[in-house]
Amino acid sequence: MTLASPWFLVSMGMATGLIGSLLGLGGGVFLVPLLTLAIGAPIRVAIAASLISVIATASASATVNLKRGLVNMRLGLALEVATSIGGLLGGITSSLLSHRQLFVGFGLTLSAMGIVMAARSSRRNIIADVDLDPGLLGGRIEEGGRTYLYRAKRLPLALCSSLVAGAISGLLGVGGGIIKVPVLSAFCGIPIRVAASTSTFMIGVTAAASAFIYFGRGQIDLPLTAAIAIGTLPGSLIGARLSDKVHARSLKVIMAFVLILVAGRMLMEGL
Amino acid sequence: MRDTLRLDRAVEAVLTLGLTIGALLLLTGLILGQLAPLRWGIVALMLTPVARVVVVTVGMFLRRDLIFGVLSLGILLVLATSILVSLRF
Repeated sequence: MTLASPWFLVSMGMATGLIGSLLGLGGGVFLVPLLTLAIGAPIRVAIAASLISVIATASASATVNLKRGLVNMRLGLALEVATSIGGLLGGITSSLLSHRQLFVGFGLTLSAMGIVMAARSSRRNIIADVDLDPGLLGGRIEEGGRTYLYRAKRLPLALCSSLVAGAISGLLGVGGGIIKVPVLSAFCGIPIRVAASTSTFMIGVTAAASAFIYFGRGQIDLPLTAAIAIGTLPGSLIGARLSDKVHARSLKVIMAFVLILVAGRMLMEGL
Repeated sequence: MRDTLRLDRAVEAVLTLGLTIGALLLLTGLILGQLAPLRWGIVALMLTPVARVVVVTVGMFLRRDLIFGVLSLGILLVLATSILVSLRF
């Protein structure tokens, strides 16, 4: 275990769980840089701890989001096939790429996602006529006391991005929501709250597909991971409840800011 | 609609159970400073999404939603592969 105090690790887990749950990202995108840069944990140990934290965030948030009808389970299942395959492949091949290649590739992907999210932040993926057919993967959502309808579009793009998100999750321990939420919201017609809740519902399975591999390799630091996971659970529950109180456009702007910030940090690390 | 709500409640229940068992084991391990409860707590957390997929698969087949039942079964297969690969290390 690193020299960081257990209370510091619990607080770190709580903070990353809260933000990860609020934005549908899982929190790993903050946890890996924090563990490696702030307390000097080896990158593989940080990735493994992050995957367990993502599982805790995803499972805790899903219990809240299911009650509010924000999870589109059919869409989640369709995309989960691609993400879990990606997660498994990412976990197996994680030792083949250098750290520098991982950081640069990830930083560039995040930059592109951040710019797309910022450019499309005013886009609303809802239809007022609720009598229309939402289709196999669409659904209904309540906003401001009114019910709206949404339809899923560009399924091949959603599937491809989910596969990539799964692979990145396995390679970097970041959950994959950082790819899925922007793509679903900006290109596939899914409202940001549904995209974030459905992504959170999926990333637990994606993270589990790779976490078993890290566990089998003995790369999980048990005390460190346990302290972080214990903090993650209450943080995620608070974040999931708060997401209802934040305006949809604000969520997109926060996410674009987070994406660009993390991308810059990753690129600095890799170059 | 009622089937969907029932499945949602079943998924919520299995997630809550998995998280509770995992959290209790992790807390026990951290307080007593023992590795065995920590290891089992991590295993409980990793198995929670697997149990969730099992419940969704059964639920989809029970309500005759065959396409999504088969998709869910595919996810379960990927997770089973991951567990088998991890046992070979």
